[in-house]
Amino acid sequence: MLPIVSITLFLPLLGALLIMAARKAPVRVVHAIGIGTSALTLASAVWMWSRGVLPVGFAQVEQIDWMPTIGAAYRVGVDGISLPLVLLTALLFLLTFIFSAKVRERPHAYVVLMLLLETASIGTFTALDALLFYVFFEISLVSMYFMIAGWGHEGRQRAALMFFLYTLLGSLPLLLAILGLYLGSNPHTFDMRVWIAHPPLTGIAAMLALVAMLFTFAVKIPLFPLHTWLPAAHVEAPAAGSVILAGVMLKFGAYGLIRFALQMTPEAFRYAAVIILIFGVVSALYGAFAALAQTDLKRLVAYTSVNHMGYVVVGVAIAALAIDPAVRALALDGAVLQMVSHGLVTGALFFLVGMLQDRAHTREMARFGGLLKGLPILGWSFVLAAFASLGLPGLAHFPAEFEIFLATLRVEPVALIVILGIVVTAGLYLRAIGQVFLGEPRAQWKGLPDLNARELLTMIPLLVLIVGVGVAPAWVLDVIHTTTATLHF
Amino acid sequence: MTSMAHDLAFLIPEILVLLTGAGTLVCEMLRRPRTALTVAVSGLLLATALTLPLLGVDTSVFSGTFRIDALSIWAKLILLPATVLSLLLARAELHGSDREGTVYSLLCFTTFGALVLAGSGDLMFLVLGVLLSGLGAFALVAYPRNDAATEAAMKFFVFASVTGSVMIFGLTYWFGATGSTLLGALAGLDKAPLAAAVGLIAVIVGLGYKASLVPFHFWAPDAYEGAPLSVAAYLSVVPKIGAIFALVQVVRDLPVSGGWPLLLAAIAVLTMTVGYLAALVQDNVVRLLAYSSIAQAGYFLLGVVAVGVSPLALPALIVFAAAYAAMNLGAFAVALQTGRTLDAFAGLGHKNPAVGVAMVLFLLSLTGIPPLAGFVGKFLLFGAAIDAHFTWLAVVAIFNSVLSLAVYLRIVVPMYRQRSDAAAPIFAPEPMPLARLVWAIAFVFTLGIGLAAQVLLGRLT
Repeated sequence: MLPIVSITLFLPLLGALLIMAARKAPVRVVHAIGIGTSALTLASAVWMWSRGVLPVGFAQVEQIDWMPTIGAAYRVGVDGISLPLVLLTALLFLLTFIFSAKVRERPHAYVVLMLLLETASIGTFTALDALLFYVFFEISLVSMYFMIAGWGHEGRQRAALMFFLYTLLGSLPLLLAILGLYLGSNPHTFDMRVWIAHPPLTGIAAMLALVAMLFTFAVKIPLFPLHTWLPAAHVEAPAAGSVILAGVMLKFGAYGLIRFALQMTPEAFRYAAVIILIFGVVSALYGAFAALAQTDLKRLVAYTSVNHMGYVVVGVAIAALAIDPAVRALALDGAVLQMVSHGLVTGALFFLVGMLQDRAHTREMARFGGLLKGLPILGWSFVLAAFASLGLPGLAHFPAEFEIFLATLRVEPVALIVILGIVVTAGLYLRAIGQVFLGEPRAQWKGLPDLNARELLTMIPLLVLIVGVGVAPAWVLDVIHTTTATLHF
Repeated sequence: MTSMAHDLAFLIPEILVLLTGAGTLVCEMLRRPRTALTVAVSGLLLATALTLPLLGVDTSVFSGTFRIDALSIWAKLILLPATVLSLLLARAELHGSDREGTVYSLLCFTTFGALVLAGSGDLMFLVLGVLLSGLGAFALVAYPRNDAATEAAMKFFVFASVTGSVMIFGLTYWFGATGSTLLGALAGLDKAPLAAAVGLIAVIVGLGYKASLVPFHFWAPDAYEGAPLSVAAYLSVVPKIGAIFALVQVVRDLPVSGGWPLLLAAIAVLTMTVGYLAALVQDNVVRLLAYSSIAQAGYFLLGVVAVGVSPLALPALIVFAAAYAAMNLGAFAVALQTGRTLDAFAGLGHKNPAVGVAMVLFLLSLTGIPPLAGFVGKFLLFGAAIDAHFTWLAVVAIFNSVLSLAVYLRIVVPMYRQRSDAAAPIFAPEPMPLARLVWAIAFVFTLGIGLAAQVLLGRLT
């Protein structure tokens, strides 16, 4: 059998090495290599998807010895939770490369960093060895730091520095937790499958490890009050960086919350589930209200991420609290699907904001007006994505949030207060659409060109999938449910 | 074979280093600096090669006074190549200067002292090692014969004499209490807690100065700044690792009841924190790297406190020593080629992408970012500390790692800033092929130890 997981994982790295070898290659060739490699990666991810997952445990496992003396190995594989995220990652990266084909500033370094980031992202989702997971997790930080510092907007140095310091501070406790789990396992190993099957820590040690992991993933998700790096990083990051940051990298946190915190310290997680639930609810509401207060379109989208990821945390916490296995699976289905939907919807929104900024060189909502007349395609795309983001039925977020709320109703009805977030989000998106796209067109914005072919190519797959997941979520949910139905924690 | 010959056979690498130093000196007397360099490099490489058959040996020679164990063997395998790289750096920096060959000779002798330290099984060897690795180092620092270098060497010398005397004084208590100078006899100290404490503090003072542990670090930034950069690079790696390994040789026999793990843990916290906080405000790259190397010494102590408790401690110390030697020498080599101020690094990443990437990787490795060498070393050190129930120490170390990122990014950030032409030097610095060779080798090891740590680990456990 072809090691398709490893091929998917290392194809982007291969592309990066190719560009490094061809340092004199012209700009068009560099971008062509970027797009070509990521297209191959997507094809390879689709192949992985077609091979499917197993009802129990991990499928398509590939492993080679790495540091046998300390029980670390190169182990990769997927299950119903990681596979959709891998597909999402491969898709978003391909679209990002298409969108970025306009980059003329140091294109070699740009494409190399993005390809490195793609390998790191896919690696984070497919690693079955805790040390390997950590390696990929950290490489993604470094590449994102250089993305923001190298291609961001005015205050990029400061924002990049803050991003790097904040997230490194966030990720190091995970290293401690990993060491704790490693020393607790007997014989010592970094095999995540072993840790999931037999949680190595109990009692107070497990609780300490959980607290360390929660800190790491709460920074990454991000959960109120550890979210402060997110708006700062998004405002200064280039549009492509924002798409990857929100669409892919925030999922590291949510994925880690399920894979590590929930599955490896299940007892402690159940014990702390109510507190995690409260954090999730507060974060979702806070994100919605904070977004309401924004005048900058990009900051607005950034804060709605805090809101949407809050729902994911609510779903995971409800799954831990649920006693009925069906409800438990329902909550987790919703949480994982929410991650996928958020990747698609927020990806689309950040692309659109980036395209708007490329034309108008501002993101202040009050300065726009009536853009729908001059830029119908951009405008209607934004309207569709915004409606998806506020949870309109028939669009991507609806089935996910519906499942989360349904499970919440069965387990902890009080927490349904979180639905208030949807109302606020609806209000703020309607206001944003009104300010930017409706009303009388301003003379200042006359003559802005609508989306060109490259931008259309970026947007169409996302919009199709937003509707596709909304109308017929079953093709994703079936894969997710295969795993969640029997998930052991 | 007589026992004397048997013992000497184990010491062939050390003897060879000594002969190499002497041979280098002869070449210098004949005014043949180039030959001196060749002799020194080939001698040390041969000594490294002759150490390889010893791998796995665990014994001692001369009635237990000198140890041939994992620490002393790996000290040779790490410090001898590190000295070779330092020799090449010295050639790149000091080529054509007066008495160039003496530098090569002194480097060999000082390394010999560090090797004696790393293998000492006796109090007398400890003292001998500190003196041997000190005497050459003073002269090396003073080599440029200008005011800065002379002042640096003076400070270094005074500091060394005082700490050295304190150590010798304190060690007499241990000798008095156990009736033996053998480190193996230290187990008997649990009956004499006062003598044990006095001796312990004395050893920490003496070796702490050499390893630049806080609060015995004050000489380091001044000495590094005044000395030739190649000498600073050397001092930050070779004698430091020798002293840390000597500390391990001492504490592995010391009864835990003396409370030394806690004392060393406290010094580790001080060293890491003070080192990085001070590095945060430096504008001079040499001083910044000096304070960084002080802080890194604190990380070594994470492994030292776990000695005897965690099986991870020794592998962690050895892997981190190898990683540290590679990444620190690499960073110094780039600094040698680029300049001593942060301004000199402005725009380096655009002007010379290869050097830029290498420097970024050295600095990220010093921070402990995977998959680089520094990460594997620190990861094992954290594991050893947690295994020895020093979880709090690992937590402090982690906070310091975040602090260290802020320190190292101070060099990285200007490297990728567009440089205004006004800041450009009037004369472009001369290309230094040897410095380039050194950072290229260091680069290979920084990446290689990170990805293939198993090669080391497989031979350690």
